[in-house]
Amino acid sequence: MGQADSGNSKPAPAPVNAPRRALRPSRRASEPRMSLNLAPMIDVTFLLLIFFLLTTTFQRAEGVLGANLPHDRGRPAVSLPISPIVVRVASTGPAASDFALRIDDFAAQPVSFSELSGFLVDIRQNEGFDVDTPVVIVAGADTPWELVVECWNAAVRARCRNIAFGGEGR
Amino acid sequence: MTPMIDVVFLLIIFFMVVSKFASAEHVPMELPQPERSQARQVKLRDRVIINCQAAETPAGPQVLYRVGPNPPEVLEQISSRLARAQAAARAEGRELIVVLRADRRLPFAEVRAALEVVRENEIEQLRLVALVGEGE
Repeated sequence: MGQADSGNSKPAPAPVNAPRRALRPSRRASEPRMSLNLAPMIDVTFLLLIFFLLTTTFQRAEGVLGANLPHDRGRPAVSLPISPIVVRVASTGPAASDFALRIDDFAAQPVSFSELSGFLVDIRQNEGFDVDTPVVIVAGADTPWELVVECWNAAVRARCRNIAFGGEGR
Repeated sequence: MTPMIDVVFLLIIFFMVVSKFASAEHVPMELPQPERSQARQVKLRDRVIINCQAAETPAGPQVLYRVGPNPPEVLEQISSRLARAQAAARAEGRELIVVLRADRRLPFAEVRAALEVVRENEIEQLRLVALVGEGE
């Protein structure tokens, strides 16, 4: 097979009587010029580039905060948890830093969400409180959602496992 | 010409790699950004996304509730969608997870209305969406 191919690729011998010099220029002229037409490829490439430039948005990633809603499936073996920890949050002004936090039945009142997280950890030192003690976040109807999520985040940070929403009248 | 094409291809590859195409389910909104956020990026199966969007209308600020990429609906319609999704998930022996995306500026009462719908449908698995913390 290889032999046959190599035989075919050989140029056909010129007729004996044909003038050699006349044959060569005519063959060169008939050969197509080999060149790659780059223009369409560049067009497409630039279109793609512009598409990606326009559609790309650099955005902060979003994630989820776990929140299992309480369910009265069975009762806890120990009935020690005296009462849930009630965290009250209210907005006191238009700015994001205008808020008031209160934990019912505890003397210390946090002024920031980091402090709230610390308090929720500290509260577990008391007898009857642990990570499963319900934490109820109570917010007024006009409290911005952001403050509620801040409280929730603080409770998650404190490794509380049982967090719920409460509400002050609708 | 060749160096230019090289550069252009590099740029294209860069944008292809860094681009995360916004999912239609994730309606653009200002999400809560808690300090030292504990929010984690996780892939959830059997989840329904409820978007609570704050929209400025000529009549004043308004809340648009929508399930995933669907057009805005009233809460009753959202409730029936959740009921159907819940029934489908239960039929396959799985638990439905509701992912709540709400604009951070919304008053709690508006978000609580959506939470009530979730509770009415006896869905226990809820996730709240917040921005992931810096460097986490």
